[in-house]
Amino acid sequence: MNRAPIIFLGVFFALAFSFVGLVLTNQITYGAFTTHVDEEEGKAFPLPAPGLAAQGKLVYQDLGCVSCHTQQVRRAGFGADTGEHSRGWGERQSVARDYLREERVLLGSVRIGPDLRNLAARKNAEGADFTADWLYRYLLDPKLVVADSDMPRYAFLFKTRQIVGEPSPKALKLPAASAPAAGYEIVPTARGEALVAYLLSLKDTYAYPETKNVYTPPAPKKAGEKKEGHE
Amino acid sequence: MATDSSHSPELTPERSSNPAETAGIDASLRTPLVALIGSALVWLLVASVLGLVSAWKLHTPAFLDACEYVTFGRLQPAQTNAFIYGWGFNAAFAVSLWLMARLSRAALPGCGVLLVGTLFWNLGVTVGIGGIILGFSTSIEWLEMPGFASPLLLVAYALIASWSLVVFRAGRSGQIFASQWYLIAALFWFPWIYSVAQVLLVFAPVRGTVQSVVHAWFSSNLLLLWFGSIGLAAIYYFLPKLLLKPVANYYLASLAFWWLVIFGSWAGISTLIGGPIPAWVQTAGAAASFMLVVPLVIIGMNHFGTLAGRWSALKDNITLRFVAFGAAAFSLVLLAWVLTSIHGIAAVTQFTFVTSAQAQLGLYGFFTMVVFGSLYYIVPRVLNTAWASAPLAGVHFAASALGVILLVGSLAVAGITQGRLLADASVPFAAVTKATESCLFAGTVALLILAIGQLAFALNFFWTLARASACCVKSAKGLLSAHSEAAR
Repeated sequence: MNRAPIIFLGVFFALAFSFVGLVLTNQITYGAFTTHVDEEEGKAFPLPAPGLAAQGKLVYQDLGCVSCHTQQVRRAGFGADTGEHSRGWGERQSVARDYLREERVLLGSVRIGPDLRNLAARKNAEGADFTADWLYRYLLDPKLVVADSDMPRYAFLFKTRQIVGEPSPKALKLPAASAPAAGYEIVPTARGEALVAYLLSLKDTYAYPETKNVYTPPAPKKAGEKKEGHE
Repeated sequence: MATDSSHSPELTPERSSNPAETAGIDASLRTPLVALIGSALVWLLVASVLGLVSAWKLHTPAFLDACEYVTFGRLQPAQTNAFIYGWGFNAAFAVSLWLMARLSRAALPGCGVLLVGTLFWNLGVTVGIGGIILGFSTSIEWLEMPGFASPLLLVAYALIASWSLVVFRAGRSGQIFASQWYLIAALFWFPWIYSVAQVLLVFAPVRGTVQSVVHAWFSSNLLLLWFGSIGLAAIYYFLPKLLLKPVANYYLASLAFWWLVIFGSWAGISTLIGGPIPAWVQTAGAAASFMLVVPLVIIGMNHFGTLAGRWSALKDNITLRFVAFGAAAFSLVLLAWVLTSIHGIAAVTQFTFVTSAQAQLGLYGFFTMVVFGSLYYIVPRVLNTAWASAPLAGVHFAASALGVILLVGSLAVAGITQGRLLADASVPFAAVTKATESCLFAGTVALLILAIGQLAFALNFFWTLARASACCVKSAKGLLSAHSEAAR
């Protein structure tokens, strides 16, 4: 190999091959994927995120939540994300169409914390639905609601302020030990509210045609084992 | 292997050049290389500090959690970017420029533009990392630097990298050695993958999970075809040069090169196995990853075949020790790549610390170690003086080797534990996190050990630099006084 032009050309075509094969082909084929219009409901799925949730996603991005949380439910039998004897992180696996309306897809690469893709459709540690109030308390100090949680506090998404007149309806209901001094209340900042709105918008429950009739291998675990969920 | 290899292409590449010529080449590179290596070392130390703080947060979440600028989600990307774009690129520029000049037998025609490029590059990285800390992160792994920093990086890259090609074109060497193939490939690839990723992910995002495909394509190419190529170029150069013997099975090297560039550029998609992307893409990625077995075997034969029977040479040559360590790590990188693209293994290792272990093995165990080794050879020649301290170099190697083994090992064990427990739904999530804590602590200790090595190296470099410049001043003064005496 002593001819510079051959090396240059070869190097060019090698990368062109993978660029065309992976980037262009995918962009041309399923990059043109469209929403699924449900005639009965008269809606196009996935639904667009509400405005506050879209703002919250920017907070999610700027705080780097993706460094610890994935947003991708793997199919039954691949890990324990969904299906029988799973962590119940989703009712079904994530499919490409779920991400169609997202300007930035944050699949993530490591699960230092649990997956969040379908958070709003899951049950929290107490077995109830996730509510804004629960998430606020969790973000303020995770140990308040989940004693053995290893998530850091996000107390900077909240502010303590003096109660003037009526207490705010958004004020956090906290146990006495962590409650603010009398006459004060803890309320989420605008960013905190947006982030929680975003988290509550994470819900992939609609069954697209491609999510039905998916082969799910039988779960390897014996029946009768405790079904562990959420968090 | 034939013993008469004085005319074979695989022996020390620039054998026909004379000492005066190489000295001239080295002298022409002095200023830009000092600027590049100096800034690389500063970024290495910055990345170390950021890495230590963020690693500490992994097992002690309450550490510094009151301020949003130092949350894990910002520090960890800041660390990765400082390491990759600050340390990795500056160091890669320095090594590739020097290798290209030496192998092509051409001196650098001037260095003004190169210095401007270096300044811009470091400005871009500073702006980018500042942007991440202040909350402008794109949240795209290895591309977190905000859109206002990346165009600056591309311009600076063009200013710097074009000089390697200028030197290549101006060269007087009749042949193109394996190192040069890799250098040409790497220099050409980076602007392509980086600009495609920037446009399709940040400036005009493509729809849905096509983004994930583009991202996997970018990050695997950055690791394998940019850092991989630069590291391999250095290994192919230093092994035959320092052992004074030809590269074993050199005739296979070109096969490994083409195999790596063709299949390596497809292999990254295997990280998306099981993801919300078309099945054929996942399968193609896994198949391409499996194809990496071929370069793994050939490059192993080239490197370890050359080293075979000469292991004693590692004892007294620090460059060789670092480079041999890097060569071994590269084999492991490819092996791990092949293994984790197998479906059953990916089910456990995906989304765990195993991915961090792999990245560290590639970026630190392979690339950084090879660069350290190269710099031990390059710096004294460029500065025309010996290293200031041999014990510091010894400390550097011991700390780096120990640190890498401990870091990669602890992350891999943490990741496998995490993966197995996550796959068992009867284990609560918090118990999974608890189970990895001791390994993560060992990882923090490893980072501390690595930092000691880096400090030793930085100290040694700046000390040598100070000695060289003092020497310069002295000789200039001597020259002046001799001149005035002669005039008298």
